[in-house]
Amino acid sequence: MVVLKKLDQDTKAEIKELISEVIEIPVDKFTDTCKFVEDLGVDSMMALEIVAAIEKKYKIRFQDEEIPKIQELSNIFEFMEQAIKKHG
Amino acid sequence: MDNKKVVITGIGVIAPNAIGRESFWQALQKGTTGIKPATLIDTTYFKSKLAGECADFKAEDFLGPKGLRNLDRATLLVASAAKLALDDACLEITEENTDDIGVVTATTVSVAFAIAKFTKEVVDDGPQMVNPALFPATTMNYPSSYVAIRYKIKGFNTTISTGHSAGLDALKYAVDFIKTGRARAILVAGVESFSFSNFVGFYKAGFLSGRKAEETCSPFDKRRNGIVLGEGATVLVIEDEEYAIQRKANIYAQVLGVKAFFDAYRTADYDPRIRGLKNSMKKVLEESGLSEEDIDYICSSANSVQRQDRLETQAIKEVFNIYANKIPVSSIKSMLGESISASGGLQLAASVGAIKNSFIPPTINYKVPDPDCDLDYVVNVSRKAEIKNVLVINFGPGGNNTTAVISKY
Repeated sequence: MVVLKKLDQDTKAEIKELISEVIEIPVDKFTDTCKFVEDLGVDSMMALEIVAAIEKKYKIRFQDEEIPKIQELSNIFEFMEQAIKKHG
Repeated sequence: MDNKKVVITGIGVIAPNAIGRESFWQALQKGTTGIKPATLIDTTYFKSKLAGECADFKAEDFLGPKGLRNLDRATLLVASAAKLALDDACLEITEENTDDIGVVTATTVSVAFAIAKFTKEVVDDGPQMVNPALFPATTMNYPSSYVAIRYKIKGFNTTISTGHSAGLDALKYAVDFIKTGRARAILVAGVESFSFSNFVGFYKAGFLSGRKAEETCSPFDKRRNGIVLGEGATVLVIEDEEYAIQRKANIYAQVLGVKAFFDAYRTADYDPRIRGLKNSMKKVLEESGLSEEDIDYICSSANSVQRQDRLETQAIKEVFNIYANKIPVSSIKSMLGESISASGGLQLAASVGAIKNSFIPPTINYKVPDPDCDLDYVVNVSRKAEIKNVLVINFGPGGNNTTAVISKY
């Protein structure tokens, strides 16, 4: 478990790696703006698994109503940046 | 409804001694064992070391590399066997026929490991941090449901968890669905996976061989002292004969009858009067329109447990009378181990092989005769024989007894 202070490039790469494992697509085959459902074939269970993995690793909580708003990787980064700002 | 004939048109096998129908039949004919020192678990602290593991099984060979990460071993095994069976039956599932096709899966003990894995994460990391993808496999009907989802089967999806007899109980369920016209083709599946949970459970409950005597899987042999756990998966495609003919399917054999009788006695114990077992045997002969002398081979449920093998022998003697000594009996569990709810399907697949390739699989590891077990057990080497009707037996401690008759088509 990591307590996150800021979202740097290394952390972003780490999160992308973590997602790559869940969706079984290599990191160089998708970008921050690929749509999870339409472009990457992510289903509801994979989405929950991604959320759970990020929560566990970075000790961050996604609210249930926030999850459906996540359409692409950049949305996850935005959400995490806000969470870091809020909780310092 | 009794006019409908039920036929077997596809066979998928993942067994400890072979993968695929033809290889399985060849392995049985050669008497090849699948029982070896366990590799999937660490047996250091146990006196029992052996298992019938499907060591060569690689799910990606059948299901492709993607989407398998969160599937438990039982689901991987049965989904792979289903692929083999569907290909073998040349049964293409389409929007037009899917409502007439169902899947029924026998499985009982495998789920224990998935539950343990999920619970461990809850305890170790806290309930908020648990990976939700581990949850589906904790339900007993996950293997069957996954098969239905993966192959787009929409007629019905059922799981039968009657332990030792579940394999034949699943067959009975499917036969009833076809005879009542509620389905035209059914995937009859059976699966158990070997895991630490099952191993420890059966070991501590005193069921495994090797705790008090030499570790051996030797049905009917005087040295027998418990089971060696096995694993495996089978899927048989069974169909309404009319439907099979209409779609020009290759027919392997016919299911003449299946009968189940329940005779609960005590927890994890056998009824010494074996009423249920004898009744199921008598009634299945009646249902099949056969008399005792018509049975050419008995595919036994003997699993190297003292009472199981003795009681089955006694039931055969009481039901078959003067014919009991004339009918070859053998236990393929001598080569595969006891795989609980997967055993029935493996026995059915073996019986079809016996009919098709004219042989009786041996009871291997047989050395020391037991005066209580004195039938013709086809010991150690297989036997060539023309076989028309096979009686397949499933029973165990707990009161479930089911027998089936499979016949040449």
